[in-house]
Amino acid sequence: VTRVFWSHRDGEDCLRIEGVGESVTVEVRPYSAPAIEGLPSMAGRLVRDDGSADFVPRFAFAEGTPYSVVVGGVDVAVLTRPRPDVQATTEVIGIFPTSTEVPRNLLRLYIWFSAQMSEGYVADHVRIVDVGGHEMVGVLLPSEHELWDGGRRRLTVLLDPARIKRGLVSHHEVGYPLAPGTSFRLVVDDTFCDARGIPLRGGAERHYEVGALERRRVEPDRWALTVPSSHTKEALSVAFERPLDHGLLTRCLRVTDRGGQLVDGAPEVAPEERSWRFTPREPWVARPHALVIDPLLEDLAGNSLSRVFDRDLTDAEDEPVEPVPRTIEFCPR
Amino acid sequence: MSEYGLGVGTVDIRSAGPIAFGPAGILFLADNISAKIFAVDVADPGPDAGSEPFDLENVDLRVAAFLGSETDDVVISDLAVHPRSHNVYLSVQRGRGDGGRQVLVRVDSLDGSIVDVPLVDVPHAEVTIADAPAPDDDRVDITLPQGTEGEELHIGERTIRILRQPVRTSTVTDLAYVEGALLVAGLSNEEFSSKLRRIPFPFSDDVRANNLEIFHVSHGKWETAAPIRTFVPYDGGRSILASYTCTPVVHFSLADLTPGTKVVGRTVAELGAMNQPLDMVSFTQGGEEHLLVANSAHGLIKIACRDIDRQAPLTEPSEPVGVPRETEDLQGITRLANLGANHVLALQANDGRLHLRALKTASL
Repeated sequence: VTRVFWSHRDGEDCLRIEGVGESVTVEVRPYSAPAIEGLPSMAGRLVRDDGSADFVPRFAFAEGTPYSVVVGGVDVAVLTRPRPDVQATTEVIGIFPTSTEVPRNLLRLYIWFSAQMSEGYVADHVRIVDVGGHEMVGVLLPSEHELWDGGRRRLTVLLDPARIKRGLVSHHEVGYPLAPGTSFRLVVDDTFCDARGIPLRGGAERHYEVGALERRRVEPDRWALTVPSSHTKEALSVAFERPLDHGLLTRCLRVTDRGGQLVDGAPEVAPEERSWRFTPREPWVARPHALVIDPLLEDLAGNSLSRVFDRDLTDAEDEPVEPVPRTIEFCPR
Repeated sequence: MSEYGLGVGTVDIRSAGPIAFGPAGILFLADNISAKIFAVDVADPGPDAGSEPFDLENVDLRVAAFLGSETDDVVISDLAVHPRSHNVYLSVQRGRGDGGRQVLVRVDSLDGSIVDVPLVDVPHAEVTIADAPAPDDDRVDITLPQGTEGEELHIGERTIRILRQPVRTSTVTDLAYVEGALLVAGLSNEEFSSKLRRIPFPFSDDVRANNLEIFHVSHGKWETAAPIRTFVPYDGGRSILASYTCTPVVHFSLADLTPGTKVVGRTVAELGAMNQPLDMVSFTQGGEEHLLVANSAHGLIKIACRDIDRQAPLTEPSEPVGVPRETEDLQGITRLANLGANHVLALQANDGRLHLRALKTASL
């Protein structure tokens, strides 16, 4: 073999091996692959051409990975696939909830990233730490199934429900993951890689304080509406009785007109998820409107409009109610 | 394959999730990013298998070498065994994000050799499993985006940029085929609900996956609607044993799973504190059906089906809880599949590597 180098063949990346006889075997392996019996070589096809051979892989060479070229059973070269020089640009743009105090039976948190992230690496890069900076092991639900949105920009992180729900062995033996009156932080490491395999621009964290248990259904009857004036584009403002789930707020509230048609506009979840504003695209008309609430809407502890997360069958207050949309009517003045 | 409604085309997988075999060697494959389940004719070329075991050490190293990757860049999501040839199928993610590739790998049960299963121009069908609103549904998520995404809304002197896109997904945690239907358990990234979808197969144009709201009563006092993490049909598909994200093991009769009704299962076992169920399989030993439960905290757990049927609902959160079970001294097992009548194939982590190991059912 006289020369081995990265090349192209018919528009595809390949490794060109020059000075190789027609009948000599050529194989490519990741350099890190150990010498174990029967280890397959890298999938691909070999195109021989007058003393040279092009290895065209079935699965593209991985950037930054070194490859061994084995000719006639002998390692003849190690080449590392170049990694393009790319800057770290992805960052955490939000951690929800944004309220400082969370209920003791907090169920979930959301982390928003500015660009698409890699899947399969959450457990090593997202954690809960106590006031002293020590990881609180066993607080988060260990799951090989990571809960991303379709764009892989929003990650849902669940606290271990078995420790929150009464009557389960984990709750009985280990207790709630959070202790009232304490504080903790959700930490995202800067080594968490985006979809390009590039680490974040920086780490991120949010501080929380643990309050009391919340075991009541969400109660829209206790919400306060600030009704806009007609012929204006003033926002309808809705103040909740407690902070609600950020993810569900983006889709569980809508405004309809008298005919039930959706009113177009821009909804905004206010800081701490304690209120919601809706600014219409067109000015309000002085007719009855309705705020329609999907019964799925939950608070920070997973209690919805229709059921409490952790229902005590002996408590009549906990009885689930029919999961039907609720409406609050209002009429711009 | 026309009887199953398959058409020739490309299986465009964006994330390789759980897999399971259905009728006639059709493999179901869940894709959580595109929120679809594909039914693929894998055209398995292997001869009919005998009753031999199959073991393969360092399967992660072998798959990584075949794909030309470091092992850190390869994730094996699930395994399934072809019911006729006993060839082993692995659902694999190679690399990350958009640059990643989803690969279906076949490991030959005779010699351990590895190939990738063609996914271009193959008979297949697909069904969408998203809970996300349909395109004609007004209830899309509206978020305030960063940067220049979305559309601008001018309100007086203010300009608001909004983005209409579904961010809700339902991650498939397990799936199984039972008599003309695919049962699919999922985990929503928003509400903490408990749904088991029943999707008729062949998939039809007007497929309406029945969402079955599943509850279990814990120790007679607390009711829970939590997502099912893994499940296994048994008793000829008449019963289901399901394990939740919060560890109770619950029995359902399939006949009770009527769409639109609230289904309450019978809690028959607890897996213990700080433990996660990972996979389940049923097998026959001494003429009686048993179940194996792989879990994160203990060895493989074996339960006799007749004990499940006899088990009264649990009423006290004290140990030992529920059906009698034996815990095998087999650690690190994350996936299970039947390998003929005499073996169960396990994916086992040991010494930092992954291995395929046939467990003899007579010895379990």
